[in-house]
Amino acid sequence: MDANKIKSALADITAERDPTLKSAKLASLCSALWAERGVELVVVGGSAIEILTEGAYASGDLDMCHASKATLPVRERQEVMDLLGAKGGPRNWQVAGMYLDLLGPAESFARTPFRRIEAPYGSFLVMKPEDLLVERVLMSHYLGVNQTARNCARILISGALRGEIAVDWGEVRRVANRPEYRNLLECEKLVKEVADELKIKSPLHPD
Amino acid sequence: MNSKSKVPCIPIEGSISWEDWLKGRRARRESSQLVAPGVIRRKRSSSDRRLKKLFNGERGLPFTPTEIL
Repeated sequence: MDANKIKSALADITAERDPTLKSAKLASLCSALWAERGVELVVVGGSAIEILTEGAYASGDLDMCHASKATLPVRERQEVMDLLGAKGGPRNWQVAGMYLDLLGPAESFARTPFRRIEAPYGSFLVMKPEDLLVERVLMSHYLGVNQTARNCARILISGALRGEIAVDWGEVRRVANRPEYRNLLECEKLVKEVADELKIKSPLHPD
Repeated sequence: MNSKSKVPCIPIEGSISWEDWLKGRRARRESSQLVAPGVIRRKRSSSDRRLKKLFNGERGLPFTPTEIL
């Protein structure tokens, strides 16, 4: 990507006042620049949930991981982020009026692909909703009730049930059954609860 | 699940165009609001100090109202 294109992208992202658009555009620009250096990034956590659901959840930091095996060496990371006028590093930067956190390798158990959005500065990847859903259900029960995590799971389920996010429910079941989670019953219960509220049949209760 | 939906779906395979992703924003927000109304942003986190410094005491920019999406 040439310097002029980067400059114009940065001006656009810096001026953007919609937090979800700002995150998506920054993910697009960073993904393009890192991909030029052989590293594929993926949006994870609350930022991914926001991009998939518009749930009014995410804060002003964009969380990304590397989806490819290796990440960039520290020096190269700083060089690429310097192209964006970023401050800080080598894992957190202030850039274009928000924060970017690079959290390490992406943790995923679902066999579905990362979701892909064709954005203004290049396509970017988003964590699989199957992983996000099972993880948030787990977090909602961990050390007592976590209402925020529960709400995140509920908005993912709602978007999936209403056909706005394609979800492989077989994979949700499989991931929830894995030893890392073992929370299939909790997942089934919450999916049924949301499905009942929306008057839609729960895909995890086929009978 | 709901195959009759006319809202562009974020697919499992392939990709969604920017235009379609933008087009689906309002419907996605409405679906979220049905089951978790209002702003559900966390009230606090370990990043509070830097976030509040950058966003004038808030944890991020305000969300665009649904009717404008």
